[in-house]
Amino acid sequence: MIIRSLILRHGRLALPRYTPGRTLRRCYASQIEETYTNPDQDQQYVAGAEDATKSQVMTAISTQNSIASDDQVARDWEFFHHQKAVTGKIGSEVETHYRPHELLSNPPSPRDITLELLMASQSHIGHSTSLWHPANAKYIFGVRGEQDPIHIISLDVTAAHLRRACKVVSGVTERGGLVLFVGSREGQARAVVNAASMAQGCHLFTKWIPGTITNGQQILGKCKKKVVNHRDEEVKGFEDQLIQKAAVKPDLVVCLNPLENYVLLHECALNNIPTIGIVDTDVNPTWVTYPIPANDDSLRCVQVIAGVLGRAGQEGQALRREGALVGDYPPRQDHGLEPPNEVEKDGSKQDEAERGRTLLTAGDA
Amino acid sequence: MCGDGERQRQQRGYATPAEPTGDIQAASPIRFTNDAEQFSRPRARFIDDNNDSTTTSLRRQNGHGTPRRENNDDPTTLLRQVRIVPASPSYFTATPQYTDDLLKLSHLLRKHQLLPVLSPGSAPRVAWKTIDQYKTELAEPIRSKGYNTLLQLLKRLNYIHPSLMPTEVAEALEGFKRDIQPYLNTPKPIQISPYGISRAVGRRKSSSAVVQLVEGTGEVLINSLPLPSYFPRLHDRESAIWALKSTQRLDKYNVFALASGGGTTGQAEAITLACAKALLAHEPDLKPALRRAGCVTRDPRRVERKKPGKLKARKMPAWVKR
Repeated sequence: MIIRSLILRHGRLALPRYTPGRTLRRCYASQIEETYTNPDQDQQYVAGAEDATKSQVMTAISTQNSIASDDQVARDWEFFHHQKAVTGKIGSEVETHYRPHELLSNPPSPRDITLELLMASQSHIGHSTSLWHPANAKYIFGVRGEQDPIHIISLDVTAAHLRRACKVVSGVTERGGLVLFVGSREGQARAVVNAASMAQGCHLFTKWIPGTITNGQQILGKCKKKVVNHRDEEVKGFEDQLIQKAAVKPDLVVCLNPLENYVLLHECALNNIPTIGIVDTDVNPTWVTYPIPANDDSLRCVQVIAGVLGRAGQEGQALRREGALVGDYPPRQDHGLEPPNEVEKDGSKQDEAERGRTLLTAGDA
Repeated sequence: MCGDGERQRQQRGYATPAEPTGDIQAASPIRFTNDAEQFSRPRARFIDDNNDSTTTSLRRQNGHGTPRRENNDDPTTLLRQVRIVPASPSYFTATPQYTDDLLKLSHLLRKHQLLPVLSPGSAPRVAWKTIDQYKTELAEPIRSKGYNTLLQLLKRLNYIHPSLMPTEVAEALEGFKRDIQPYLNTPKPIQISPYGISRAVGRRKSSSAVVQLVEGTGEVLINSLPLPSYFPRLHDRESAIWALKSTQRLDKYNVFALASGGGTTGQAEAITLACAKALLAHEPDLKPALRRAGCVTRDPRRVERKKPGKLKARKMPAWVKR
């Protein structure tokens, strides 16, 4: 039996019984004066002893009960872990059960998309029927509730759209494209960062700065870019050319809360960047290229979708790297780079001055 | 996307995963004309340097890759292989270095959050970088709210018990500390000489005093004069030896003080502070008692200078209507 429950069962007896008479007696002032002890009374008057002061005696007593020394803390910590390792398995066998953190530490892959998983993650729950967007009527299964009816999203439709989105993400990453995962609501940061790292893309969990794509040179001008080859190794020699280059645009944007990021989606549409988004019943599905009808308010649902899309990106990257090892790489990005100038390695004074001038002019642009 | 595929898709009830229709064509520049079919023609084309679209389709369709045996030193090969990518995954936040720092510290905290922690108030005092210093270093537009989040993480990581502090955390914290740590400046402890004398300095207004304290019978000499003759005023006499009087050790110590500068009150108060410091050298545990008595803090007040337009430091001349 777990010790916690023992206290719950017998705890009330362990507490002192309530006696009303006692509290009344405490109200007399004289009693309070008798019982009151000034915690600082030792320090207000310190009598000088013959050999040592009283305070020195007090400190000698107090050090015995003081906080443990550094070595003791480290040893206690080690001992605690040793105990845990030795005695942790003793007792009942715990079956495998749902643990919320596993959605982030070990997300499901596209082949794990099942209706049971989606339902368990509350992805079928839509918003109130009075707040819906009629354009996504075809994703809605029906209505639930008599007093405050809400729309229920069709999970088979969700699964189909999610699988399609996975194909898009893996296809883009397989061809060396850049995927941007965006999720600016509270609690979505970890899911977004995880998904981006799996797909080797970019993440954004704070507010999207309007103009990041349309006004990229201004907003992202100072952010560093690099040149990588088909094996994802950085290639040096292009630094000067990179300064003059425009800001990088993503090749695919995955938005976990389109309702708050309509500016981002509009900018992507202006620049022909396909978007994937979780459309709830109150979201306009035409804002995104590949909608995923699901519940954007449930963190569990968002983590499942982000995890699955991240895994899809991971699979695409693995295929691309596999091909790169045999020297097979996708057709090139229209980067407009020129072969690196080998004379730069000498670093003559003239070249440095020219480089400085180009840097200054680039900063003004 | 060819026209046939589009027509097929329009027949379906709702969007379904599309069949792979081959490689996407890159866009050619749009030139608006009166041509009716200007938008139905394919615009996008891949820049395929192999000049053979069938063999460069999806490797999965082929079943095996077609390795290109090319000279790796050839610059044209290099240009075909490279692509421009952001240096950091936080590129689109516009503050990539700050975001990376935040993520690194969050990751460290989550990894080591179960380590034992010092009690509140007993963490080593650290002077962290100010937001201006951090912003100058990174050259990124960071808001104070963002930097405060970072500081909270740093302070929490600083509380990990020093005996179990991981090296990676210590290294990460070093990067955010100021170059000069003012808290490492600890005052020299006042020593007691082999003869049992402790020597301390105190200052008040423009006076300074040096006091030598030794265990004795209660004699007091100030500038080689006994206490009553040096300080005729009772208040000054009492305040000079207040440190001993408040702790009831007047008969336990001998005081030898040298005071200079200022006036009577300034010198008396200077002796108070010096005497308290010297007493703390003998009995360090008297500090709370002396603090309550008001002997430990150096009074920073000085005579304020006279300003132009005023009669004294603050006194204004009489206001005249006209």
